[in-house]
Order: sequence, then C-alpha cells, then structure tokens
Amino acid sequence: MTLRVLLVEDDRELCRTLRDAMAAEGYEVFTAASLSEGFALLKGLEAGVTKGCAPVDMVLLDLGLPDGDGEQLLVALRQKHNVPLIVVSARESDGQKVRMLDAGADDYLVKPFSIRELLARMRVGFRHRGTSVSPAVTQYTLGNLRIDLRTHDVVLDGKEVHLTPTEFNLLARLVRSAGQVVTHRQLLLDVWGAEFTEHTHYLRLYMAQLRSKLEENPADPQLLMTEPGVGYRIAEPRA
Amino acid sequence: MSGTVAPMKDEIPGEPHRLDKWRWASASIIWALAWVLMIHFEGRLGLAQVAITLVLASALAAIWLPLIPSLLTTALAVLAFDWVFVPPVSAFRVEMAEDMLLLAEVAVLSWVVSGLLAHGRVLARRARRSARHAEQMRALGDALRDAEDPLQRGEALRSALKDLLGQQPKLLMLRNKDAVEEDEGAAVALGAPSAEESAGLWHCVRTCKQLGPGTDCDSQLPALYLPLRGGEDHAFGAALIPHSPKEVPTPDVMTQAQALCDQMGQLLHRAEAQRDADTAQVRAQDQAVRNALLAAISHDYRTPLAAIMGAASSLRDVGNKLAPEQRERLAQTIVTETRQLSRLTDNTLQLVRLDAPGVKLSLDWESADELAGAAIGRARRHDPERRLKVWAEPGLPLVRCDAVLFSQMLENLIDNALKYSNAPAPVELIVRRQGTHIVFAVRDRGPGIEPAWREKIFSVFQRGDWRSSSTNSAAQRGAGVGLAVCRAIARAHGGELKLRPRGHGGSSFECWLPEAEAPSVETQDRAMDGAAP
Repeated sequence: MTLRVLLVEDDRELCRTLRDAMAAEGYEVFTAASLSEGFALLKGLEAGVTKGCAPVDMVLLDLGLPDGDGEQLLVALRQKHNVPLIVVSARESDGQKVRMLDAGADDYLVKPFSIRELLARMRVGFRHRGTSVSPAVTQYTLGNLRIDLRTHDVVLDGKEVHLTPTEFNLLARLVRSAGQVVTHRQLLLDVWGAEFTEHTHYLRLYMAQLRSKLEENPADPQLLMTEPGVGYRIAEPRA
Repeated sequence: MSGTVAPMKDEIPGEPHRLDKWRWASASIIWALAWVLMIHFEGRLGLAQVAITLVLASALAAIWLPLIPSLLTTALAVLAFDWVFVPPVSAFRVEMAEDMLLLAEVAVLSWVVSGLLAHGRVLARRARRSARHAEQMRALGDALRDAEDPLQRGEALRSALKDLLGQQPKLLMLRNKDAVEEDEGAAVALGAPSAEESAGLWHCVRTCKQLGPGTDCDSQLPALYLPLRGGEDHAFGAALIPHSPKEVPTPDVMTQAQALCDQMGQLLHRAEAQRDADTAQVRAQDQAVRNALLAAISHDYRTPLAAIMGAASSLRDVGNKLAPEQRERLAQTIVTETRQLSRLTDNTLQLVRLDAPGVKLSLDWESADELAGAAIGRARRHDPERRLKVWAEPGLPLVRCDAVLFSQMLENLIDNALKYSNAPAPVELIVRRQGTHIVFAVRDRGPGIEPAWREKIFSVFQRGDWRSSSTNSAAQRGAGVGLAVCRAIARAHGGELKLRPRGHGGSSFECWLPEAEAPSVETQDRAMDGAAP
C-alpha cells in the first residue's frame, strides 16, 4: 500500500521540490498551500477512508502559513488522530521547537534542510506509528548494545550492564521513541513526575551516568545524543 | 574723590568699621602730638620750622584719614596755627606778607600731600579688590572645572555671588539651551525661587540682559537679575540677587557678578557643545559600524550566492552535456554553499540579537561534555571526512548557559578550525577545568594567526589576510561575523573568548566560562540488577 503524505507548505518552489522528491521515494503526496486548504484536504480524505482511520499516514507541516499558524492544524489533528507529524519551519528558536514537540509533533526540521534528512526523519516517524513492518519498539539493538524493555535486559559487548531504576526508566523512555527527540520536559515528566519538569539538572546527571555506562567516549556520544536546548534522542536502532 | 567709593561689600568682612575707628584715633594722636611739639618749639625755633611740623602732621594724618576729612582737618589746623602762632597772636589776621605766604604754602603743601596719599590708597584698594575678584573667578573656575555635570555646581556660583554681594542669590540653570519654561525638568532651580521670581528668571534668560536696580532695564524691580551668558545672545540660566537699597552694587561689583555668572553660562554652553559633539560622534560611529556591517555581510552573502548561481545555472543550461560526476559536483557545491549561507544568516541574526539592549538568554544547567559532544556530532554530520576529536575532563560541574547559543558558538569555532586547517590534521575540542573557570578549547593545526590580527579577527568588520600563509581568499569569507558572534556569545554568558597560538603551530580558540554552583540532585535509587523488575 502506498503511504499517503499531506504536505502543508505555502512556498510554491519548496512545495514542488519536496513533492517531487517524496513522489520519487514512492509516497503519494497531497499538497496544501494554506491552513484552510489543509483542513479541507484532510476532511475530504477522511470521507474516503473507514471511520476512525487516519486520512493520511503522515503530515509535514509549515508553521507560518498565509491564513494562520500551522500549530492550529497540529492541535486539531491531535484531537482525532495519532498520525505522525513533522513540523517544517524557518523558526529556529528552541522554545518554539519544544512547544511543538510537547504539543504532539513527532519531529521538527528547521529550514533549510536536505531532502535526505527529511526522508530519514519521515522513516523514523512511520516506524514509530507502526506504519511500517516493525511493531511498537520493545527491543533495541545498536552495534554491540542490546536493550530489552520487557525483560529489563541491557547487554553491552555480551556483558550485562547494571542500571539504577531511574537510569533504566530514562533509557527505556528514549528507546520507546528511538530516533526521535524527546524533550527535557517530556523526559522529566515521564521518568520523575510532574513536579520535576523544571529540574533539568537531574537529566544532566542521569544522562552522564548512562553515557558513562553505555558509551565508549561519553564526551563523544554515538548512542545518547543531545539536542541542545530541546532534549535527547537515542540513535536509530541498527543491528 | 573718595566720596565716589561706596562701602564695598566685598571688603574683608568686619574690616571697614574697625579701620574707621583706628583711623580717626591714629589721626587724632598724630595731630595731638604735632600740637604738643609745635607749642614746645614756639619761641625756640623760627615760625617756618614750626610750620614744617604742621605739614608733617597733616601728611601723617592723611595716611589714615579719607580725603575730605583730611583736607578739612588740615585747613582747620592752618587756621589754628594762624590763631596761635602767627602774629598778631589770637587773631586770624596776618600782618607780614612772608607769614601770609608761609600759611598759604603750608596749606597747599598739606592738601597736595593729603590728596596724593588718599589717591594712592584708592588705587591700592582697587588693586586689592581686583586681585580678590581674580581669585574669586579662579576659585569658581576650579570648582566648576572638576564638575562632571555643571548643573551640580550651582552652589559654587551661589556662594561666590553671596561673598561678592552679601545677599543669598537664587539660580536657574537650563539643562540645554533650547529648554522652555513650560517644560518641567528643563531647568534646575536653586534657592527655591517663588513663581514670580521664577518668571523673572525665565524672562532674564529669554532677553539675555541684566534686569533690575542699577541696570538699564526694569530698575524698579525688587531684585537684580543677571543672565548666565554662554554666548553672544544666549543665556543658559539666570541669577537673582535680592535688592538692598542700602547697598547698591558699584559698577565694578556688577561687572564682577556678571563675570561670575558668565563663567557658569560658558561652562553650561561648553557642556552642551560637548554633549552635542559626543552624540554626533556616536551617531557617526553607529553609521560607520552599520556601513561596515552591511559591507561585510553583503560580501559574505554574495560569495556563496555567486557559487550557487553558477552551479545551478550550469545544471539548468548545460546539465545534459555534463558528465554525471560533474553534475554531482555542481549539486554538491549548491548544498555546501547553501549551508554556508544558512550559517551566515544564523550568525548575523544572532549578532544583531545579542547587540540589542536587554538581551535575555534562556539559561539552564547544562553538561559541558554534552555540549561539546553535540557540537562535534553535528560538525561530523556536515563534514564526515574530517578527523574531529573531543575530550572532556571527568567530573566537570554543570555550566549555566543558553544551550542553543553556546552550541552555535562551539559549532562556529569548529567550523572555523576545519576551514583553516588541512585535512589530515585533526581539530580537537577539549573541555577542562582551569581554576574557577570551565574552558572550552577548539584547537587546530592550521597556519596560525599573525600577531597583529589576533585581536582584530574578533571584530566583525575586519577582513584581510590574517592567516599567516593563507593565499586562498575564498577561505577567509565569513570569518568576521563568525568569530564576532562567538565572542558576543561568550561575553553574554559572563565569559570570554580568547585566542592562544599553539606551541607547534595552529590556534586554540578558548571560551572561558566562570564556574557556577549547580543545584544538588537527590539520588535515592541503587544500582539494580539487570533482571530485576
């Protein structure tokens, strides 16, 4: 089945370039140049699918649209569907990124970006929503590291790694969104609880501990990546 | 002659009365002694010799007495001499012609001597007063010269005027020459002038003329108004001196008072001119800075744009005639140059943002090795061929910084180091503790930087051949904005960006960040077994 992508972007040139590139990758692309067109397109597509099913498999959303902010579409979409959504914007402030991610965006790409990067992020998005072959992530493998979320096994180079419960919870949270950025707030909320969302120094400490146990050179991480000012991301799994 | 000299308020206080008393006492003693001597000499010496004593007494008395009393006492003494000594005695008649001549000579001689002495005294007093006035001007000048803001030195002028005129003056000083009465805060008033006095002061400022008693204008006014003149027709304020009918200031006192006021006026004028000059200079500098910034940015933008234009138009126009690898190379040029433009845009925007007043950073506790690792990771994605090394001292404390800004600085420094050093030599990012600072050092093995350029390269407007042996002008572009924004970011964090030449060639760009005490973390969890639930 062809995966369907809705691209909401008002710049005609960029829109055409992206559409062609995605079409070349085998996606079916619908384009909207404004917020209202995006809403209308979604409604039209919704009518064509079984009730309750998502009208598209992915949304790429620009924020600065001629008739409003793309955030409105994100909020409206999240009320009904869980389709992967990637924000594509020229706004580069980390505050903006964090807000969109916390509001339910799966990823955030700052313009200008390369097509290769966009396609890679899209693949990650599809994987997480179970759209591709792999089911929801419970097992993670990267090189000599193997993590099993069900059995709580963390094995590096054939040896078991001992983690504290907090370290494991933090690692598990990242593994569940492998390849995607998880914001500081989200991590603190899920691992420590609501009253800890401002305590970023907790994250620094536990990330440092995790890196010292899992990374060859903690200062040059290959597994637990930092997105400065936004959050953390665990590298995409590779056998 | 002495009648024109009114009691001078600017004499040394208390001096006139005490002097008057002693003058008369001294003169009386002289005359008494002279008469004792003359009576004693009568009959023993000739009349002419006795008369010389009278001349001498008159001259000595004239030292103490003012002119008129001196002349009168001399005339009386001559009459008395005639009565007592000149025959016929006890009568004002004179029998002999030589006695008449003697009396006339004695009288004239005494008057001349008295007159000369009195005139000398007036001259001496004037000289003393001039010296005192000059001293007063100098003292006021000293007081005003040290003032950063002349408006704060109004009291110095007030006390100088009070010394001169004996009345406590009130002052109005304008903040600038175009100040108007309606604008509150346009002027500073000292001595709490009433509304009416204030109006008078403003009128004096507007007309730039002396007003009140003893002047050509409005002599019926209850006070004397003097303008603080800063130029030909421009007053920077005015002084009000309450009028006392008993003590009308003499013209030279008026001249001195006006001179003191003008001294303040000129100072205010100079201060205003200086302010204008400073503002003009700042404006000119701003303009120059803006022009240089625009020139630098336009140069830095045009270069990658030209490369993109060239590559893109080649692909469009002759793309089908090119070999696949040539097309690939052109496409790669477009990607690389676009990235360059993107970075330039980020840096320029950041520089403008950091330059704005009241810039606010979003500070958080960040891990130094995370920042370093993220910067190296990103640089590696863009330039996978190059050798990048990162090392962080174990156990570094958290640093308080704006992660996005700080990463931008590190990426710029790495980018810069990659651009200016050749492929086999690695670029290193070292994080270590140095005293009370955390130092992020980006080190390369490039050709290094000429000593003359080591400070200048941090200025956005500097460009030129600052790498020791660089001949590649394309390699230099963008460095100005990049390093300038790096330094601005370091400084915005209370740190500093320094350049240190390395021992065996190359440069080390070091960001020194002051260490801060991070909040503590409560850790309760123990290491758990891998198999535990």
